[in-house]
Amino acid sequence: MGTYIAIAAVIVLVALFVVGQYNGLIRLNNVVSEAFAQIEVQLRRRTDLIPNLVETVKGYAAHEKDALERVIAARSAATAAHGVPDVAAADGQLTQALRGLLAVSEAYPDLKASANFIALQEELASTENKVAFARQYYNDSVRSFNTKCQTIPGSLFTGLAKVSARPFYEVEDPEARNAPKVQF
Amino acid sequence: MQAHNRRKTVLLLAAMTSLVAIVVWAAGLYAGYTTVGILPIAVGIALIGTWGSYYSSDKLVLAMTGARVIDESDAPQLYNLVHEVVIASGMPMPKVAIVEDRAPNAFATGRDPEHAVIAFTTGILQVMDREQLQGVAAHEMAHVANRDTLVSAVAATTAGAIALLSDLLMRMMWFGGGRRDNREGGSNPILLIASLLVLILAPIAAMLLRSAVSRSRESLADATGVQFTRNPAGLRRALETLAADSTVVNQRSTAVAHVWIESPLDSSMSSKLFATHPPLEERIANLRALENGQFDN
Repeated sequence: MGTYIAIAAVIVLVALFVVGQYNGLIRLNNVVSEAFAQIEVQLRRRTDLIPNLVETVKGYAAHEKDALERVIAARSAATAAHGVPDVAAADGQLTQALRGLLAVSEAYPDLKASANFIALQEELASTENKVAFARQYYNDSVRSFNTKCQTIPGSLFTGLAKVSARPFYEVEDPEARNAPKVQF
Repeated sequence: MQAHNRRKTVLLLAAMTSLVAIVVWAAGLYAGYTTVGILPIAVGIALIGTWGSYYSSDKLVLAMTGARVIDESDAPQLYNLVHEVVIASGMPMPKVAIVEDRAPNAFATGRDPEHAVIAFTTGILQVMDREQLQGVAAHEMAHVANRDTLVSAVAATTAGAIALLSDLLMRMMWFGGGRRDNREGGSNPILLIASLLVLILAPIAAMLLRSAVSRSRESLADATGVQFTRNPAGLRRALETLAADSTVVNQRSTAVAHVWIESPLDSSMSSKLFATHPPLEERIANLRALENGQFDN
Protein backbone atom coordinates (compact mmCIF):
# COMPACT_ATOMS: atom_id res chain seq x y z
CA MET A 1 0.00 0.00 0.00
CA GLY A 2 2.75 2.37 1.07
CA THR A 3 4.75 1.81 -2.08
CA TYR A 4 1.71 2.56 -4.25
CA ILE A 5 1.25 5.86 -2.47
CA ALA A 6 4.94 6.63 -2.94
CA ILE A 7 4.77 5.82 -6.65
CA ALA A 8 1.65 7.91 -7.08
CA ALA A 9 3.31 10.81 -5.27
CA VAL A 10 6.36 10.63 -7.54
CA ILE A 11 4.14 10.56 -10.63
CA VAL A 12 2.18 13.57 -9.41
CA LEU A 13 5.38 15.48 -8.65
CA VAL A 14 6.85 14.71 -12.09
CA ALA A 15 3.61 15.78 -13.75
CA LEU A 16 3.58 19.05 -11.79
CA PHE A 17 7.19 19.68 -12.81
CA VAL A 18 6.45 19.09 -16.50
CA VAL A 19 3.38 21.34 -16.38
CA GLY A 20 5.41 24.04 -14.65
CA GLN A 21 8.17 23.93 -17.25
CA TYR A 22 5.71 23.87 -20.13
CA ASN A 23 3.69 26.79 -18.80
CA GLY A 24 6.83 28.77 -18.05
CA LEU A 25 8.03 28.44 -21.64
CA ILE A 26 4.64 29.36 -23.10
CA ARG A 27 4.29 32.34 -20.77
CA LEU A 28 7.73 33.76 -21.62
CA ASN A 29 7.12 33.15 -25.33
CA ASN A 30 3.88 35.14 -25.10
CA VAL A 31 5.66 37.97 -23.28
CA VAL A 32 8.12 38.16 -26.19
CA SER A 33 5.28 38.27 -28.73
CA GLU A 34 3.49 41.00 -26.78
CA ALA A 35 6.72 42.97 -26.54
CA PHE A 36 7.19 42.78 -30.29
CA ALA A 37 3.59 43.88 -30.83
CA GLN A 38 4.33 46.91 -28.66
CA ILE A 39 7.31 47.80 -30.87
CA GLU A 40 5.07 47.57 -33.92
CA VAL A 41 2.42 49.77 -32.31
CA GLN A 42 4.98 52.47 -31.61
CA LEU A 43 6.57 52.18 -35.06
CA ARG A 44 3.13 52.59 -36.64
CA ARG A 45 2.49 55.65 -34.52
CA ARG A 46 5.71 57.09 -35.83
CA THR A 47 4.91 56.38 -39.47
CA ASP A 48 1.50 58.00 -38.89
CA LEU A 49 3.17 61.16 -37.65
CA ILE A 50 5.46 61.50 -40.66
CA PRO A 51 3.03 62.85 -43.34
CA ASN A 52 2.08 65.66 -40.98
CA LEU A 53 5.74 66.38 -40.23
CA VAL A 54 6.67 66.38 -43.91
CA GLU A 55 3.85 68.82 -44.72
CA THR A 56 4.85 71.14 -41.90
CA VAL A 57 8.51 71.18 -42.88
CA LYS A 58 7.59 71.70 -46.55
CA GLY A 59 5.67 74.81 -45.60
CA TYR A 60 8.83 76.48 -44.32
CA ALA A 61 11.71 74.64 -45.97
CA ALA A 62 10.41 73.25 -49.26
CA HIS A 63 13.83 73.16 -50.88
CA GLU A 64 15.28 70.68 -48.37
CA LYS A 65 14.22 68.03 -50.88
CA ASP A 66 16.94 65.50 -50.04
CA ALA A 67 16.11 65.23 -46.39
CA LEU A 68 12.37 65.16 -47.06
CA GLU A 69 12.61 62.47 -49.69
CA ARG A 70 14.82 60.28 -47.56
CA VAL A 71 12.20 60.39 -44.80
CA ILE A 72 9.40 59.55 -47.23
CA ALA A 73 11.38 56.66 -48.73
CA ALA A 74 12.36 55.31 -45.32
CA ARG A 75 8.74 55.57 -44.22
CA SER A 76 7.42 53.46 -47.08
CA ALA A 77 10.18 50.90 -46.49
CA ALA A 78 9.18 50.75 -42.83
CA THR A 79 5.50 50.27 -43.66
CA ALA A 80 6.35 47.33 -45.95
CA ALA A 81 8.72 45.56 -43.53
CA HIS A 82 7.79 42.23 -41.91
CA GLY A 83 9.57 40.02 -39.40
CA VAL A 84 11.99 41.07 -36.71
CA PRO A 85 15.20 41.61 -38.77
CA ASP A 86 13.44 43.57 -41.57
CA VAL A 87 11.43 45.70 -39.20
CA ALA A 88 14.56 46.44 -37.20
CA ALA A 89 16.55 47.46 -40.30
CA ALA A 90 13.77 49.72 -41.60
CA ASP A 91 13.36 51.19 -38.12
CA GLY A 92 17.06 52.13 -38.05
CA GLN A 93 16.85 53.76 -41.51
CA LEU A 94 13.81 55.81 -40.56
CA THR A 95 15.37 56.93 -37.29
CA GLN A 96 18.40 58.21 -39.19
CA ALA A 97 16.33 59.93 -41.89
CA LEU A 98 14.21 61.67 -39.25
CA ARG A 99 17.25 62.81 -37.37
CA GLY A 100 18.60 64.27 -40.60
CA LEU A 101 15.34 66.12 -41.32
CA LEU A 102 15.19 67.57 -37.83
CA ALA A 103 18.83 68.61 -38.09
CA VAL A 104 18.23 70.63 -41.26
CA SER A 105 15.08 72.18 -39.81
CA GLU A 106 17.30 73.70 -37.10
CA ALA A 107 18.27 76.30 -39.72
CA TYR A 108 14.69 77.63 -40.05
CA PRO A 109 13.70 79.79 -37.09
CA ASP A 110 10.14 80.27 -38.41
CA LEU A 111 9.66 76.53 -38.64
CA LYS A 112 11.12 75.98 -35.19
CA ALA A 113 8.79 78.60 -33.75
CA SER A 114 5.59 77.25 -35.30
CA ALA A 115 3.21 75.73 -32.76
CA ASN A 116 2.47 72.81 -35.03
CA PHE A 117 6.14 71.94 -35.35
CA ILE A 118 6.72 72.20 -31.60
CA ALA A 119 3.83 69.83 -30.91
CA LEU A 120 5.07 67.46 -33.61
CA GLN A 121 8.56 67.52 -32.19
CA GLU A 122 7.29 66.49 -28.76
CA GLU A 123 5.24 63.72 -30.33
CA LEU A 124 8.18 62.49 -32.38
CA ALA A 125 10.65 62.70 -29.51
CA SER A 126 8.25 60.78 -27.30
CA THR A 127 7.52 58.18 -29.96
CA GLU A 128 11.23 57.77 -30.52
CA ASN A 129 11.67 57.14 -26.78
CA LYS A 130 8.75 54.73 -26.78
CA VAL A 131 10.23 52.81 -29.69
CA ALA A 132 13.55 52.65 -27.88
CA PHE A 133 11.94 51.47 -24.64
CA ALA A 134 9.78 48.94 -26.46
CA ARG A 135 12.94 47.58 -28.12
CA GLN A 136 14.69 47.41 -24.78
CA TYR A 137 11.79 45.58 -23.17
CA TYR A 138 11.58 43.22 -26.16
CA ASN A 139 15.27 42.38 -26.00
CA ASP A 140 15.06 41.84 -22.24
CA SER A 141 12.15 39.43 -22.69
CA VAL A 142 13.97 37.64 -25.52
CA ARG A 143 17.00 37.28 -23.31
CA SER A 144 15.10 35.65 -20.46
CA PHE A 145 13.08 33.48 -22.88
CA ASN A 146 16.16 32.30 -24.76
CA THR A 147 18.00 31.57 -21.53
CA LYS A 148 15.07 29.43 -20.44
CA CYS A 149 15.03 27.68 -23.84
CA GLN A 150 18.74 26.96 -23.88
CA THR A 151 19.38 25.87 -20.31
CA ILE A 152 18.34 22.68 -18.53
CA PRO A 153 15.60 21.93 -17.58
CA GLY A 154 13.77 24.34 -19.93
CA SER A 155 15.67 23.07 -22.98
CA LEU A 156 14.19 19.58 -22.48
CA PHE A 157 10.67 20.88 -23.00
CA THR A 158 11.00 23.23 -25.98
CA GLY A 159 9.89 20.43 -28.31
CA LEU A 160 6.83 19.70 -26.19
CA ALA A 161 5.88 23.39 -25.99
CA LYS A 162 6.68 23.89 -29.70
CA VAL A 163 8.77 27.01 -29.03
CA SER A 164 12.33 27.93 -29.93
CA ALA A 165 14.75 30.78 -29.26
CA ARG A 166 13.56 34.15 -30.61
CA PRO A 167 15.70 36.69 -32.52
CA PHE A 168 16.94 39.85 -30.84
CA TYR A 169 15.82 43.19 -32.23
CA GLU A 170 19.03 44.69 -33.49
CA VAL A 171 19.10 48.19 -34.91
CA GLU A 172 21.87 49.07 -37.32
CA ASP A 173 22.05 52.69 -36.26
CA PRO A 174 24.60 52.55 -33.43
CA GLU A 175 23.20 55.67 -31.78
CA ALA A 176 19.77 54.17 -31.44
CA ARG A 177 21.10 51.40 -29.25
CA ASN A 178 22.26 53.78 -26.57
CA ALA A 179 20.01 54.84 -23.75
CA PRO A 180 17.21 56.94 -25.22
CA LYS A 181 17.75 60.65 -24.98
CA VAL A 182 15.06 63.25 -24.91
CA GLN A 183 16.79 65.57 -27.31
CA PHE A 184 15.91 64.76 -30.85
CA MET B 1 13.12 40.26 -5.85
CA GLN B 2 9.46 40.43 -6.86
CA ALA B 3 8.59 37.24 -4.98
CA HIS B 4 10.56 38.39 -1.96
CA ASN B 5 8.71 41.68 -1.97
CA ARG B 6 5.34 40.00 -2.24
CA ARG B 7 6.12 37.76 0.72
CA LYS B 8 7.12 40.78 2.76
CA THR B 9 3.88 42.45 1.75
CA VAL B 10 1.75 39.58 2.98
CA LEU B 11 3.72 39.45 6.22
CA LEU B 12 3.28 43.13 6.80
CA LEU B 13 -0.44 43.10 6.11
CA ALA B 14 -0.81 40.19 8.53
CA ALA B 15 1.16 42.08 11.17
CA MET B 16 -1.01 45.17 10.76
CA THR B 17 -4.20 43.13 10.95
CA SER B 18 -3.08 41.38 14.13
CA LEU B 19 -2.10 44.70 15.64
CA VAL B 20 -5.58 46.09 15.06
CA ALA B 21 -7.09 42.92 16.46
CA ILE B 22 -4.97 43.21 19.60
CA VAL B 23 -5.99 46.81 20.11
CA VAL B 24 -9.67 46.02 19.75
CA TRP B 25 -9.24 43.10 22.10
CA ALA B 26 -7.49 45.31 24.66
CA ALA B 27 -10.24 47.84 24.32
CA GLY B 28 -12.77 45.13 24.95
CA LEU B 29 -10.92 44.00 28.04
CA TYR B 30 -10.86 47.50 29.36
CA ALA B 31 -14.51 48.00 28.64
CA GLY B 32 -15.22 44.91 30.70
CA TYR B 33 -15.97 42.15 28.20
CA THR B 34 -14.51 38.72 28.75
CA THR B 35 -11.61 37.79 26.50
CA VAL B 36 -13.09 34.96 24.46
CA GLY B 37 -16.27 36.65 23.33
CA ILE B 38 -14.60 39.79 22.00
CA LEU B 39 -11.85 38.09 19.99
CA PRO B 40 -13.81 37.18 16.82
CA ILE B 41 -15.26 40.67 16.73
CA ALA B 42 -11.79 42.16 17.08
CA VAL B 43 -10.40 40.06 14.26
CA GLY B 44 -13.44 40.89 12.14
CA ILE B 45 -13.01 44.64 12.62
CA ALA B 46 -9.30 44.35 11.84
CA LEU B 47 -9.91 42.36 8.66
CA ILE B 48 -12.58 44.72 7.41
CA GLY B 49 -10.34 47.71 8.10
CA THR B 50 -7.33 46.27 6.31
CA TRP B 51 -9.40 45.06 3.40
CA GLY B 52 -11.09 48.45 3.09
CA SER B 53 -7.82 50.30 2.88
CA TYR B 54 -6.47 47.65 0.51
CA TYR B 55 -9.42 47.95 -1.81
CA SER B 56 -9.89 51.70 -1.94
CA SER B 57 -6.35 52.96 -1.33
CA ASP B 58 -6.17 54.75 -4.69
CA LYS B 59 -9.46 56.62 -4.22
CA LEU B 60 -8.58 57.50 -0.63
CA VAL B 61 -5.24 58.98 -1.57
CA LEU B 62 -6.67 60.88 -4.53
CA ALA B 63 -9.42 62.37 -2.39
CA MET B 64 -6.96 63.21 0.39
CA THR B 65 -4.48 65.01 -1.81
CA GLY B 66 -7.03 66.62 -4.11
CA ALA B 67 -5.38 65.06 -7.14
CA ARG B 68 -7.17 65.43 -10.46
CA VAL B 69 -6.89 62.58 -12.94
CA ILE B 70 -5.98 63.85 -16.41
CA ASP B 71 -5.97 62.34 -19.87
CA GLU B 72 -3.65 62.70 -22.81
CA SER B 73 -5.09 65.97 -24.15
CA ASP B 74 -4.70 67.81 -20.80
CA ALA B 75 -0.93 67.41 -20.57
CA PRO B 76 0.44 65.64 -23.64
CA GLN B 77 4.07 65.77 -22.60
CA LEU B 78 3.50 64.46 -19.09
CA TYR B 79 1.25 61.73 -20.40
CA ASN B 80 3.82 60.84 -23.05
CA LEU B 81 6.71 60.53 -20.67
CA VAL B 82 4.74 58.38 -18.26
CA HIS B 83 3.75 56.19 -21.20
CA GLU B 84 7.41 55.85 -22.22
CA VAL B 85 8.34 54.53 -18.79
CA VAL B 86 5.32 52.24 -18.81
CA ILE B 87 6.49 50.72 -22.09
CA ALA B 88 9.96 50.25 -20.65
CA SER B 89 8.51 48.47 -17.63
CA GLY B 90 6.12 46.27 -19.64
CA MET B 91 3.26 47.09 -17.26
CA PRO B 92 -0.25 48.47 -17.86
CA MET B 93 -0.70 52.22 -18.17
CA PRO B 94 -1.61 53.82 -14.82
CA LYS B 95 -3.88 56.82 -14.39
CA VAL B 96 -1.97 60.09 -14.40
CA ALA B 97 -3.03 62.81 -11.97
CA ILE B 98 -2.05 66.38 -11.16
CA VAL B 99 -2.11 67.99 -7.70
CA GLU B 100 -2.40 71.78 -7.54
CA ASP B 101 0.54 72.47 -5.26
CA ARG B 102 3.61 74.60 -5.72
CA ALA B 103 5.82 72.20 -3.78
CA PRO B 104 7.62 69.87 -6.20
CA ASN B 105 6.52 66.35 -5.40
CA ALA B 106 5.11 63.18 -6.86
CA PHE B 107 3.56 60.00 -5.57
CA ALA B 108 2.23 56.67 -6.71
CA THR B 109 -0.70 54.79 -5.24
CA GLY B 110 -3.14 51.98 -5.99
CA ARG B 111 -3.52 48.43 -4.80
CA ASP B 112 -2.08 46.76 -7.93
CA PRO B 113 -0.65 47.80 -11.30
CA GLU B 114 -4.13 47.68 -12.85
CA HIS B 115 -5.43 50.30 -10.40
CA ALA B 116 -2.30 52.40 -10.11
CA VAL B 117 -2.27 56.20 -10.10
CA ILE B 118 0.82 58.35 -10.53
CA ALA B 119 0.41 61.97 -9.46
CA PHE B 120 2.61 64.99 -9.98
CA THR B 121 2.28 68.40 -8.35
CA THR B 122 2.07 71.44 -10.59
CA GLY B 123 5.27 72.55 -8.85
CA ILE B 124 7.33 69.59 -10.04
CA LEU B 125 6.10 70.11 -13.60
CA GLN B 126 7.41 73.65 -13.47
CA VAL B 127 10.86 73.10 -12.00
CA MET B 128 11.88 69.95 -13.85
CA ASP B 129 12.79 69.28 -17.47
CA ARG B 130 11.63 66.32 -19.50
CA GLU B 131 14.53 64.04 -18.61
CA GLN B 132 14.14 64.70 -14.89
CA LEU B 133 10.40 64.09 -15.01
CA GLN B 134 11.04 60.85 -16.82
CA GLY B 135 13.33 59.80 -13.97
CA VAL B 136 10.62 60.71 -11.45
CA ALA B 137 7.98 58.82 -13.44
CA ALA B 138 10.30 55.79 -13.54
CA HIS B 139 10.79 55.96 -9.76
CA GLU B 140 7.03 56.10 -9.17
CA MET B 141 6.39 53.34 -11.69
CA ALA B 142 8.98 51.27 -9.81
CA HIS B 143 6.91 51.72 -6.65
CA VAL B 144 3.93 50.37 -8.54
CA ALA B 145 5.98 47.46 -9.93
CA ASN B 146 7.34 46.55 -6.48
CA ARG B 147 3.84 46.82 -4.92
CA ASP B 148 5.11 49.50 -2.51
CA THR B 149 2.04 51.62 -3.08
CA LEU B 150 -0.32 49.02 -1.67
CA VAL B 151 1.85 48.29 1.34
CA SER B 152 2.42 51.87 2.33
CA ALA B 153 -1.23 52.78 1.84
CA VAL B 154 -2.52 49.93 3.95
CA ALA B 155 0.18 50.39 6.56
CA ALA B 156 -0.57 54.07 6.91
CA THR B 157 -4.34 53.65 7.03
CA THR B 158 -4.16 50.89 9.60
CA ALA B 159 -1.59 52.73 11.65
CA GLY B 160 -3.88 55.75 11.58
CA ALA B 161 -6.85 53.66 12.63
CA ILE B 162 -4.94 52.16 15.54
CA ALA B 163 -3.78 55.56 16.71
CA LEU B 164 -7.32 56.92 16.49
CA LEU B 165 -8.81 53.94 18.30
CA SER B 166 -6.36 53.96 21.19
CA ASP B 167 -6.66 57.71 21.48
CA LEU B 168 -10.41 57.34 21.80
CA LEU B 169 -10.07 54.67 24.48
CA MET B 170 -7.53 56.67 26.43
CA ARG B 171 -10.01 59.50 26.58
CA MET B 172 -12.80 57.19 27.71
CA MET B 173 -10.55 55.95 30.46
CA TRP B 174 -9.57 59.44 31.50
CA PHE B 175 -13.10 60.60 31.93
CA GLY B 176 -14.17 57.46 33.74
CA GLY B 177 -16.22 56.14 30.84
CA GLY B 178 -16.49 52.54 29.86
CA ARG B 179 -18.68 50.09 31.62
CA ARG B 180 -17.35 50.15 35.08
CA ASP B 181 -20.56 49.02 36.76
CA ASN B 182 -21.11 45.65 35.14
CA ARG B 183 -17.48 44.78 34.67
CA GLU B 184 -16.26 41.41 35.90
CA GLY B 185 -12.98 40.38 34.25
CA GLY B 186 -11.87 44.00 34.11
CA SER B 187 -11.69 44.25 37.86
CA ASN B 188 -8.47 42.27 37.69
CA PRO B 189 -5.81 45.02 37.97
CA ILE B 190 -3.16 43.09 36.02
CA LEU B 191 -5.48 42.69 33.03
CA LEU B 192 -6.37 46.34 33.22
CA ILE B 193 -2.73 47.40 33.22
CA ALA B 194 -1.96 45.04 30.34
CA SER B 195 -4.73 46.44 28.23
CA LEU B 196 -3.59 49.96 29.05
CA LEU B 197 -0.06 49.07 27.97
CA VAL B 198 -1.30 47.65 24.68
CA LEU B 199 -3.31 50.78 24.06
CA ILE B 200 -0.25 52.94 24.62
CA LEU B 201 2.23 50.78 22.74
CA ALA B 202 0.13 49.87 19.73
CA PRO B 203 0.25 53.29 18.04
CA ILE B 204 4.02 53.34 18.49
CA ALA B 205 4.33 49.87 17.00
CA ALA B 206 2.16 50.94 14.10
CA MET B 207 4.34 53.97 13.43
CA LEU B 208 7.45 51.80 13.52
CA LEU B 209 5.93 49.35 11.07
CA ARG B 210 5.01 52.17 8.74
CA SER B 211 8.43 53.75 8.72
CA ALA B 212 10.03 50.34 8.14
CA VAL B 213 7.97 50.13 5.00
CA SER B 214 9.03 53.35 3.39
CA ARG B 215 12.69 53.30 4.39
CA SER B 216 13.99 50.30 2.50
CA ARG B 217 11.73 50.75 -0.46
CA GLU B 218 12.89 54.15 -1.69
CA SER B 219 16.37 52.96 -2.62
CA LEU B 220 14.96 49.87 -4.27
CA ALA B 221 12.58 52.03 -6.30
CA ASP B 222 15.50 54.19 -7.48
CA ALA B 223 17.30 51.08 -8.72
CA THR B 224 14.22 49.62 -10.38
CA GLY B 225 13.44 52.97 -12.00
CA VAL B 226 16.91 53.16 -13.51
CA GLN B 227 16.46 49.63 -14.77
CA PHE B 228 13.43 50.90 -16.71
CA THR B 229 15.01 53.99 -18.25
CA ARG B 230 18.70 52.92 -18.26
CA ASN B 231 19.35 56.55 -17.54
CA PRO B 232 20.45 57.26 -13.95
CA ALA B 233 21.22 60.89 -14.79
CA GLY B 234 17.55 61.86 -15.14
CA LEU B 235 16.52 60.71 -11.67
CA ARG B 236 19.79 61.91 -10.16
CA ARG B 237 19.25 65.42 -11.51
CA ALA B 238 15.63 65.32 -10.34
CA LEU B 239 16.72 64.46 -6.80
CA GLU B 240 19.30 67.22 -6.90
CA THR B 241 16.59 69.69 -7.82
CA LEU B 242 14.46 68.43 -4.94
CA ALA B 243 17.40 68.66 -2.53
CA ALA B 244 18.08 72.23 -3.57
CA ASP B 245 14.42 73.10 -3.26
CA SER B 246 13.65 71.48 0.07
CA THR B 247 13.62 74.53 2.34
CA VAL B 248 11.19 76.34 0.09
CA VAL B 249 8.88 73.38 -0.01
CA ASN B 250 8.71 72.98 3.72
CA GLN B 251 7.82 76.60 4.30
CA ARG B 252 5.18 76.66 1.64
CA SER B 253 3.57 73.46 2.76
CA THR B 254 3.19 74.11 6.48
CA ALA B 255 -0.44 75.05 6.12
CA VAL B 256 -1.20 71.83 4.29
CA ALA B 257 1.10 69.72 6.42
CA HIS B 258 -0.78 70.73 9.54
CA VAL B 259 -3.96 69.26 8.19
CA TRP B 260 -2.22 66.14 7.00
CA ILE B 261 -0.47 65.42 10.26
CA GLU B 262 -3.71 65.46 12.15
CA SER B 263 -5.50 63.26 9.70
CA PRO B 264 -5.22 59.52 10.27
CA LEU B 265 -4.24 59.20 6.63
CA ASP B 266 -1.24 61.42 6.61
CA SER B 267 0.90 62.30 3.65
CA SER B 268 3.26 59.35 3.90
CA MET B 269 0.51 56.91 3.01
CA SER B 270 1.52 57.41 -0.55
CA SER B 271 5.10 56.61 -1.33
CA LYS B 272 6.44 60.08 -1.75
CA LEU B 273 9.53 60.80 -3.66
CA PHE B 274 10.20 63.47 -1.13
CA ALA B 275 10.87 63.41 2.62
CA THR B 276 11.77 59.78 2.71
CA HIS B 277 14.16 58.12 5.07
CA PRO B 278 17.31 57.49 3.07
CA PRO B 279 18.73 60.98 2.74
CA LEU B 280 18.61 62.49 -0.72
CA GLU B 281 22.40 62.83 -0.76
CA GLU B 282 22.82 59.11 -0.31
CA ARG B 283 20.38 58.33 -3.10
CA ILE B 284 22.08 60.84 -5.40
CA ALA B 285 25.47 59.25 -4.68
CA ASN B 286 24.09 55.80 -5.50
CA LEU B 287 22.72 57.03 -8.82
CA ARG B 288 25.99 58.70 -9.63
CA ALA B 289 27.77 55.39 -9.08
CA LEU B 290 25.42 53.82 -11.61
CA GLU B 291 26.18 56.58 -14.10
CA ASN B 292 29.89 55.89 -13.81
CA GLY B 293 29.50 52.57 -15.49
CA GLN B 294 28.80 50.10 -12.73
CA PHE B 295 25.47 49.27 -14.22
CA ASP B 296 24.76 45.69 -14.98
CA ASN B 297 21.27 44.70 -15.88
